[in-house]
Amino acid sequence: MSFTSMGEAHRRIADFLNRFSEAVSTQDGASLKSLLSVSSNSSLLLSLADDLNLYQDWSRLVKQAERNSHTLGEILVPHLRCVQSYRSGRFVEAYAAFEKSANAFLQEFRNWETAWAVEAMHVVAHEIRILAELADKELASLGKNPEKLQGAGSFLMKVFGSLAGKGPKRVGALYVTCQLFKAYFKLGTVHLCRSVIRSIETAKFFDFEEFPSSDKVTYMYYTGRLEVYNENFVAADQKLTYALMHCNSRHEANLRMILKYLIPVKLSIGILPKMSLLDKFHLTEYTNIVKALKQGDLRLLRRALQEHEDQFLRTGVYLVLEKLELQVYQRLVKKIYIFQKQKDPSKAHQIKLDVIVKALKWLEIDMDVDEVECMMAILIYKNLMKGYFAHKSKVVVLSKQEPFPKLNGKPVSS
Amino acid sequence: MISSEHPFEIIHDFVFDRTRSIRQDLSIQNIIDEHAIEMYEKMVEFHIISHLKLAKSHRDPDNSSLHYLNMEQLTKCLLSLYEIYDLNRSPEFIIKKENEFHSFYVLLHLGRKNSIMKESLSLWFRHLSSQILLSREMRFARTLLSYFRMGNYKRFFAILAMEASQLQLRLIEPFLNEVRVQALSCINHSGYKLQPYPLELLAELLMIKEHELESLCCECGLQIITDELGCKLLPAKQSNFHHPKSDLESYSLTTPVKFHR
Repeated sequence: MSFTSMGEAHRRIADFLNRFSEAVSTQDGASLKSLLSVSSNSSLLLSLADDLNLYQDWSRLVKQAERNSHTLGEILVPHLRCVQSYRSGRFVEAYAAFEKSANAFLQEFRNWETAWAVEAMHVVAHEIRILAELADKELASLGKNPEKLQGAGSFLMKVFGSLAGKGPKRVGALYVTCQLFKAYFKLGTVHLCRSVIRSIETAKFFDFEEFPSSDKVTYMYYTGRLEVYNENFVAADQKLTYALMHCNSRHEANLRMILKYLIPVKLSIGILPKMSLLDKFHLTEYTNIVKALKQGDLRLLRRALQEHEDQFLRTGVYLVLEKLELQVYQRLVKKIYIFQKQKDPSKAHQIKLDVIVKALKWLEIDMDVDEVECMMAILIYKNLMKGYFAHKSKVVVLSKQEPFPKLNGKPVSS
Repeated sequence: MISSEHPFEIIHDFVFDRTRSIRQDLSIQNIIDEHAIEMYEKMVEFHIISHLKLAKSHRDPDNSSLHYLNMEQLTKCLLSLYEIYDLNRSPEFIIKKENEFHSFYVLLHLGRKNSIMKESLSLWFRHLSSQILLSREMRFARTLLSYFRMGNYKRFFAILAMEASQLQLRLIEPFLNEVRVQALSCINHSGYKLQPYPLELLAELLMIKEHELESLCCECGLQIITDELGCKLLPAKQSNFHHPKSDLESYSLTTPVKFHR
């Protein structure tokens, strides 16, 4: 460990302050970025923190440097306090300081007309979220109410507001939107994103194609997930497929995240993925579900749902997968129909409810005739089967033409 | 609260206002301990009982908005209660009724969504602990909801009979007719014209008195016929089927079975 003298610490702090004001006056966004990313644990900021701890009177240095610009001081003093607190692991303090700094930065940012500082603003947006999450963890561990991420969300909304307009800064809006998504998804208050989504999608200022590709992929991923939670499968398919198509093929972790949601959507519209895809991306939790759909194996579906119940609930796809039962029933009845067709084609379209009861018993599923009748009524009602059920004869009579309509990319009718 | 001197709506109004002021006080004073929990739980119970009573007293058309407002308040209370549960969570402090009270939020999804339910249920589940999600009461609510979503009226009523607690049943009861109407719609659509459905059996499946089922069919525009033995039957493929014109008329029908827990 090298011994740092007060003088050296003093010099390095002054150095940092100079770099900061240089970056602003020369409109050097790239340099400014690196000075702001507190959570990156860069050696620059870590050693700066040590220097600040050593040279306790550093705020005086900031005031001296302020002869260039008074407002930079409003940004720098809390920023340095944040760097210091972060280093010591005092995240609630770090967040409070950063929030102050960020607000001051935003005020300045609004005055800069060109887009030179957009990337730096992005770093601020990213950092405030990360620091808020750390602060909330600290608060929760102390038995206090974790409300910093909520505050960060409000700040991000303000940032979004500063980017929504006709000026050149607007291409930065989608990145901030994604930070908002990440924050609100974590908080579980996703409905707060609605106004932002509307802004982006009504194209008053924004041309979606202008945004950077990676932001577009992230955006479609999150909005796609929202559609999954709201069970709008056609929209979900559209958005998640976009994300999949435009995602860098080398980012396997991201592809996997997209597929995690896209697969249940595809299953809901009658499209089954290849087993090789599931294997390649380690999405084996879906393997038995796909098998169950292929084979009409109700028992396998239920087992798979039970086995991965917690995981599916965490991801938020459990309710979607549950609904697949109807398609499994359809497949089961179809298999019986095909079997009967082989034995006696002229009578194949009439299936005794007792036969279905037996088939289910063979799958260790206990269903009485009334329930089977109920399920047949539903399958017909939802157009998964064409025909009718005859109560007295205890038989389901299938249409001679296309008795089991395929979904063909459309979800089961409600 | 159960006094027969005054019409329920007046009592409800009075208590409703009181509970709302209590909630405001609790939140302003930031009272979040076990006493708050107790109070919120009592308020939720009040709203559930009101929920059923308001549903039954269908004569006054104003009641539908009262009913809706009550459901909103119930939802608000529940959501506040869950926050307080979270704040009080610790290894020493066991929250006794947590599982049941969480199940109420799931069961509310049997009805139409109200304005307080801003997030989808899938999203709500993501933030619950496994301990709550996999508890008996939650499992029951989730299973009931899945039968509802699938349209499996047979299992829906069967499981209701076997597993619902008193409060859960009170909460669910006003939604039962919607489930029954769905069943009628399904049977009418998929049944065979020449083999009408015996009403007695259907009433058993839908846990409703036969004569009340007959009224419900009537409200849906469905005709009932009687065979030579005097048995009532529901013919299928009737083109006049429609959803009951007014929500309120249906609420007079109740389940014949009494559940105790």
